Amino acid sequence: MDNRVILDIQSVSKHFGALKAVDQVSFWVEQGEIVGLIGPNGAGKTTLTNIVTGDLKKTEGQVFFKGQNISHLQPFQIARIGLTRTYQIVKPLEGMTVEENVLVGSLFGRVDRKNDLNKGRKKTREIMELVGLDKKKDLLVSDITLPDLKRMEFARVLAMDPEVVFLDEVMAGLNPSEVEEASELIKRIREDKRLTIIYIEHIMKAVMGISDRIIVLHHGKKICEGSPKEVCDNPAVIEAYLGKRYAKEMINK
Amino acid sequence: MNITEKKINMNKTIILILALILLFILLPRFISGYYVRIFTAIFMYATIAQGFNLMSGYMGYLPFGNVMFFGIGAYVTAIFMGKGFSFVCALLLAALAAVLTSIILGFPVLRLRGHYFAIATIGMNGAIMSVVQNTTEITGGAMGTTLPIIPRAPGIVYNYFYLAMFTLMVVTTMVMYLVIHSKFGYAVRSIKANEEAANSMGINTTYTKITAWAITALFTSIAGALYGYWMSFIAPEEVFDVMISVNTIVMMLIGGAGTILGPIIGAFIIETVSEFAWSGFMEYHLAALGIATIIIVFFVPRGVIGSLGSMIRNKKMALPKKVGESNG
Repeated sequence: MDNRVILDIQSVSKHFGALKAVDQVSFWVEQGEIVGLIGPNGAGKTTLTNIVTGDLKKTEGQVFFKGQNISHLQPFQIARIGLTRTYQIVKPLEGMTVEENVLVGSLFGRVDRKNDLNKGRKKTREIMELVGLDKKKDLLVSDITLPDLKRMEFARVLAMDPEVVFLDEVMAGLNPSEVEEASELIKRIREDKRLTIIYIEHIMKAVMGISDRIIVLHHGKKICEGSPKEVCDNPAVIEAYLGKRYAKEMINK
Repeated sequence: MNITEKKINMNKTIILILALILLFILLPRFISGYYVRIFTAIFMYATIAQGFNLMSGYMGYLPFGNVMFFGIGAYVTAIFMGKGFSFVCALLLAALAAVLTSIILGFPVLRLRGHYFAIATIGMNGAIMSVVQNTTEITGGAMGTTLPIIPRAPGIVYNYFYLAMFTLMVVTTMVMYLVIHSKFGYAVRSIKANEEAANSMGINTTYTKITAWAITALFTSIAGALYGYWMSFIAPEEVFDVMISVNTIVMMLIGGAGTILGPIIGAFIIETVSEFAWSGFMEYHLAALGIATIIIVFFVPRGVIGSLGSMIRNKKMALPKKVGESNG
């Protein structure tokens, strides 16, 4: 196997009764790539993420991370070897401040970069500054807005020092200028931290602008994979997701 | 400036705490045996409430059956002292037994959440009580069993237990403080905040939960051991009484769940009130406790310490905002 491949998903399926939420999906991700994962609602994007991060048990298939089979591992074990995620529906640690949320990420997270409390606090401060949350660090998570919560989840994930991150709809609920800002932030941090990102998103402009490669899911199946342009040209993708007019607009841009 | 101010505040707090500790060590010289016994009970309940506080106030699991460790502590001590072991040996064995029990039971029970967990622990407490009641040859059965009496004047003996319980409470509180302010403490609090998120952030939730319960079991069982030796007679229905759990939970709530001093304040309030106000009409004790719980949950959900804390925090937060605005 090509040793630049960091995450290798091999014919993974998840069945809920008769429903095949994820059906024989295979793809790989190279180190440092940003891979967009798109598809209509219910296409299986989040289910696939849940499987890879261990939140959900799969029906069949294998997942390899840096050559290690992680199919049987629990979420905390997967987080400790450097693969993590944000949640589509944010999961802040209620009752804690924004800073404490990020601190927990830095204290746990990747096991070979473990921090004690002092190091963790220092790292937390750096990351809060990086994502622009330093002025809100002492607020309780219940007192900040959704965009800030998403920012905090992203900061928390960064604090864990992962190699691969699944970003599950981090742009949802943001207005166009915020989307632009967040895209810049993600690009900058990717360079900075040499992150590999699997980027799940509905906002096409954001996905197209940021991704090296795009994978399209529909009814649990992978229907297309390629560069943003190839994906926009693909008839199956236009049929299932983009619509003709939108695809044309995208290509013209 | 800020750091030195903080340090001065820290030093003030430490001096205050040391002064209080000294006061309580000397107190038995000045009060009657009756009050010495009341204070001993307060220290005991505060210790048990600290256990609930770690499990519930900080971790979000309510182990109603925690009294099982109290009972185990008392009974294992009684059994081994009956065999001629010294109190310290018997106490250590009792603590070991309780910790092992918490670990063994923790694996299946801590998979449950919310009410299911609370009810499962009550069931386990009932099961252990039944075993104690029905193994008459070892435990003395439902009739109860005696522990050796210290051959000294009762006043001196009561002072011993006063000091022992007080030490236990102080040590328990100090350990809880260290636990909560450690990395492990963040894992514990994350579980209350959102267990799934905690797990996905690399926290081994099963290990964390079981360890927290084992710490709780350790201190609760030592309280039980001291209680048994203090009373020199124990019966299953008394030391495995779920009402001990209920009482201490109310104490934790009144004082402030999820605060270090809350359980102690709560124990003082509830024990004093029940001693002086409720002793006149015992039959209403439970009703009053129930009503008190409802009132707390509705009106002061964060307890005495919690409410004070947020008042102070609000004041503090109001200041830096202004400073921040003028800077930015």
